Amino acid sequence: MSIKKIAPTLVAAAVATVVLTACQAQETKSGSAASGKAMAARTAQSGPPPLAPLGPPPIPPDNKQTPAKIELGKILFFDPRIGGDASTGCSTCHEPDQGWAWAEDFSRGYPGTVHWRNSQTIINSAYYGRLFWAGSVPSLEKQAPSAAKGGVAGNGENDIMESRLALIPGYRKRFKEVFGTEWPLIGDAWRAIAAFERTLVQRDTPLDKYLLGDKSALSEEQVRGMALFNGKAGCIQCHNGELASDQDYHNIGVPPNKRWEEDGLAQVTFRFELYAKGMTEEGYRTTKADPGFYFRGKNKWDKGKFRTPSLRYTAYTAPYMHNGVFYTMEEVVDFYNRGGFDEEGRTTAYPENKSKLIKPLGLTDEEKEDLVAFLEAFSGEEILMEKPPMPDYAPLFTKAELEAAQEAK
Amino acid sequence: MVVRVSTGRALLAATLGVGLVVTAQAASYPDIGPLPQLKIDKAKAALGKRLFFDKRLSGDAGIACSDCHVPEKAYASKEALSPGYPGNGHFRNASSLVNTAHKNIWNWDGRIGTNLNDMTREMITEDYIMNMDMRIMQERMKQDPLYVKMFKEAGYGEPSNGSVRKAIPEYLKTLTSTGAPFDKGTMSASAKRGMKLFKGKAGCIQCHNGPLLTDQKPHNTGVPENFDVFLDPMNHQAFMAFAMFQGIPNYRNMKRDPGYFNITLEKKDMGKFITPSLRELKYSAPYMHNGMIKTLPDVVEFYNNGGGKDSNKSKKLKPLGLSANEKKDLVAFLESLSGDPLTGPEYVWDQPYPAEYPVIENWTQVRN
Ligand code: HEC
Ligand code: HEC
Ligand code: HEC
Ligand code: HEC
Repeated sequence: MSIKKIAPTLVAAAVATVVLTACQAQETKSGSAASGKAMAARTAQSGPPPLAPLGPPPIPPDNKQTPAKIELGKILFFDPRIGGDASTGCSTCHEPDQGWAWAEDFSRGYPGTVHWRNSQTIINSAYYGRLFWAGSVPSLEKQAPSAAKGGVAGNGENDIMESRLALIPGYRKRFKEVFGTEWPLIGDAWRAIAAFERTLVQRDTPLDKYLLGDKSALSEEQVRGMALFNGKAGCIQCHNGELASDQDYHNIGVPPNKRWEEDGLAQVTFRFELYAKGMTEEGYRTTKADPGFYFRGKNKWDKGKFRTPSLRYTAYTAPYMHNGVFYTMEEVVDFYNRGGFDEEGRTTAYPENKSKLIKPLGLTDEEKEDLVAFLEAFSGEEILMEKPPMPDYAPLFTKAELEAAQEAK
Repeated sequence: MVVRVSTGRALLAATLGVGLVVTAQAASYPDIGPLPQLKIDKAKAALGKRLFFDKRLSGDAGIACSDCHVPEKAYASKEALSPGYPGNGHFRNASSLVNTAHKNIWNWDGRIGTNLNDMTREMITEDYIMNMDMRIMQERMKQDPLYVKMFKEAGYGEPSNGSVRKAIPEYLKTLTSTGAPFDKGTMSASAKRGMKLFKGKAGCIQCHNGPLLTDQKPHNTGVPENFDVFLDPMNHQAFMAFAMFQGIPNYRNMKRDPGYFNITLEKKDMGKFITPSLRELKYSAPYMHNGMIKTLPDVVEFYNNGGGKDSNKSKKLKPLGLSANEKKDLVAFLESLSGDPLTGPEYVWDQPYPAEYPVIENWTQVRN
C-alpha cells in the first residue's frame, strides 16, 4: 500500500480517500527467523563462534552471478536515474570513497530531506541474512527497491524508473542479454544490483590472513587487542563468526543523536519515519528516539535494538552506529568501556532494554589502544571504483515512424 | 422562437444587454452564460493559496503547482507541453485552472470524475508531477509555524494530508473568471456576430455549451500528435509511466495520446479528449491537450477545415466554409470570453517561504 499513488481512477470511481495507515510492508512483516536461528546456534555451542576468515558470499540459486549481470548491476548502482528526480542513485549515499557509505552521522537524504539513519557500507552486505540497521528486509534483491523508492532515499516509483530504462538503448541491450526480455523490467534491475553488491566483499584483511595462518599479519599490539576482544572486553559475544556479527538485535545503549533536538529537517524525517512505519498515534507523538528493531514485531522489549553490524571495513565507514553518534573507534571503545554511555553520560532512550552483556569493562588506556589497533585489522585495502560511463537516452521512435502513425490514424 | 431550456439565464443575459439570437441548433444545448458564484471560506482559501505556490509540496521541494499552472497564463502551462517534476518531462499541456472548480470531470482524458480533492492528491503524488510522499509533506507542514497557524485558523487543527487536499480546492474556487466582456455585456459588434456563428453556422455550441462553454464530454477532433512527446525521452518516459500505470495495452509501442481510451479501453474512445472550457483563452495559448495549435485564428482555421485527420473523428465536425470576416468575428467572440487576469495578491501568494525548517524547541518533551 503506497501513499504515493493509488490504482488508476476511473471516471467517478469512488476513490475518495487514501488510507493513511500505510505501513511499509517490509517493516511490519514480523518474524524474527534470523534472530531465532542465531540464538539457536549460540545455545547449541558452548560459546560464541570464534572469529573466522571470511568465505565466499552466499549466492541465491535464483539469481546466479554472471559477468554481464554484474556489469549491468554496477552501472545501475551508479546511475542516479534509478530514483525519483534522477539526482539520487545508490552510489549517491554509498560513495566508494566514503567507505561505500556516507561520511556524516545521518546519511544525506533525497533532495529536500535528510535521512534518519547512518548510511551502511555496501562492502560485505552480501553476507547478511537481513538488511538495514533494524533488519527489515530479507535479501539484497528486496533491499534495492526499498532503497530506490523510500521517500527520504531514492523516492522513485517503478513505472517511471522502468520507463527510463526502456528509453536508454544501452540498457535495453544489456537487459536483453542478461535476462532475455524484450524490455528492461524493474525487478531485474534489483537482481542485477544485488549481483553487483555480491562482488563487493573483502576477504583479505590482516585478520583473515592471520586466521589463515600468517602470524605476521597482526602486530603484537593487535594480538593483545584480539585477546581483549575475545576475553575481557567481551566483544566476541556479539561480534563473532566470519562476519564479526551474530546478526542478532541488541540494545547496546547508543544515545539518541542530538540532531533530533537541534535540526528542524531532521525532526521532519523523524516523524515521517514513525508515521510511515505504522506507529500508533500515541507512539508517533511521544517517541523521541529511534525504536529500531521494535518496528519489526512491535514488541516494547525490542525498542532501541539494532542489528549487530560487521566490524569489517569499518576503517573507512566512520561515523559509527545506527545514528552515527561516534566519529572514531576511540570513542566507540570508550563508550563500551563505560558500559554503554557516551562522554556526557548519555545512554539509550530505552534503558530498560539495554543488553545485560554491556557493562563497564575496566580497560586501561593501554588496553583501549590495543583494542582499537585490533579493530583496524578488520579492514584491508580501501576498495575504490570509478563511476562507469552512463548509457544515454535516445528517442525510441523516428520522426518518420511517428509521421506514418499519424497518417494511419 | 424555440422554448429555451434555462429561462433564468435568458433573463440574466437580457439584462446584461447581450443580444441573443437563438438559432434552432443552439436551443438543444445548455446555453452559454455567466458562471454561478461559489461560496468561499476565506481562511481555507488563504491556506490553499500558500500551498499552491509552495515547492515544498513536491518530493524534492523543487516544483510547485504554480510552476506548471502559471498565473499569467490563466494557470495553464507556458509551453505547449507542461514541464514535469525534475528529471522528467510531460506529455500534455497543463490545463488552465481558472474555473476548474466549476467542472465535474478533470484532466484532458477525464480520468478524475469525483472531485478536486482527488485531483489534488493525483497532482501531488504522481511521480512525473510532484512525486510527493504525502506523509513527508504533512511533516513538512507541521514544521512550518505559519502553516501550523493557518491550518488552525482554517478550522483544520493540525496540518494533515487530508486538509491539504481540502484547502487547495477551496483556493481553486477563487480562480473564477471575472470581468469578461461576454459576462459584462460589453461585447463588440464583431464579437456578437461571432457568438451567432458560434451557436449557428460554426456549430461550436454542440460541444462548447453551458456557462463553462463545455459539455464536459469526450470528443475526437483530430488534433495532430505533438511529436515532441515521443522525440524527447523526458516527455516520453512520463508518457510511458502514465500509460503503464493506467494499464494501457502495448503502451511501450504506442505512438499517440490515447485520450479517453484510457478510461474505457474501447477503440471507439481512441483520441477523444474532454471538451475544454473556452474561457480565458486570451492568456492560455498554446491550445489543445498537447499545445499543437498556437493561436485562436489557427484554431478557427482548424475547425473551418472540419478538424484534423482521424478515422475516429466526431461526426459533428465538418468543413464550415466560413468567410474571412466570419473567422475574425468568431475569434473576436472567443476573445470576449476572457476577463481580468487573476494575478493580483488575492490570487497569488507573494511572500517568501522560509529557507529552513525551524527547530521545534524542547523536542523531547513536546507531543508533536
Ligand atoms: C538517500 C541515501 C541513500 C540512497 C539513495 C540509497 N541508500 Fe542504501 N542505505 C542508506 C541508509 C541511510 C541505510 C541504512 C538505513 C536503515 O537502516 O534504515 C542504507 C542501507 C543500505 C543497505 C543495507 C546494508 C546492511 O548492512 O544491511 C544496502 C544493501 C543498501 N543500502 C543498498 C542501496 C542500494 C542498492 C541503493 C540504490 C537502489 C541504495 N542503497 C540507495 C542510504 C541510502
Ligand atoms: C551485546 C552485543 C554487543 C557487544 C557485546 C558489543 N557490540 Fe558492538 N555493536 C553491537 C550492536 C547491536 C551495534 C549497533 C548498535 C547501534 O547502532 O545502536 C554495535 C556497533 C558496534 C560498532 C559500530 C560499527 C558500525 O559500523 O557503525 C563498533 C565499532 C563496535 N560495535 C565494536 C564493538 C567492540 C569493540 C565491542 C567490545 C568492546 C563491542 N562492539 C561489543 C553489539 C555488540
Ligand atoms: C509538473 C507540472 C504540474 C504540476 C506541478 C501541477 N500540475 Fe496540475 N496539471 C498538470 C498537467 C500536465 C495537467 C493535465 C493532465 C492531464 O490531462 O493528463 C494538470 C491538470 C490539473 C487539473 C485538472 C484541470 C482540469 O480542469 O481538468 C487540476 C485541478 C490541477 N492540475 C491542479 C493542480 C494542483 C492543485 C497542483 C499542485 C498541488 C498541480 N496541479 C500541480 C501539470 C502540473
Ligand atoms: C465535437 C465537439 C466540438 C466541437 C463541435 C467544437 N469543439 Fe472545440 N474542442 C473540442 C475538444 C474535444 C477540444 C479539445 C481537443 C484536444 O485537445 O485534442 C476542443 C478544443 C477547443 C479549443 C482549445 C481550448 C484550449 O483551452 O486549449 C478551442 C479554442 C475550441 N475548441 C474552439 C472551438 C470553436 C471555435 C468551435 C466551433 C468552430 C469548436 N471548438 C467546436 C470539442 C469541440
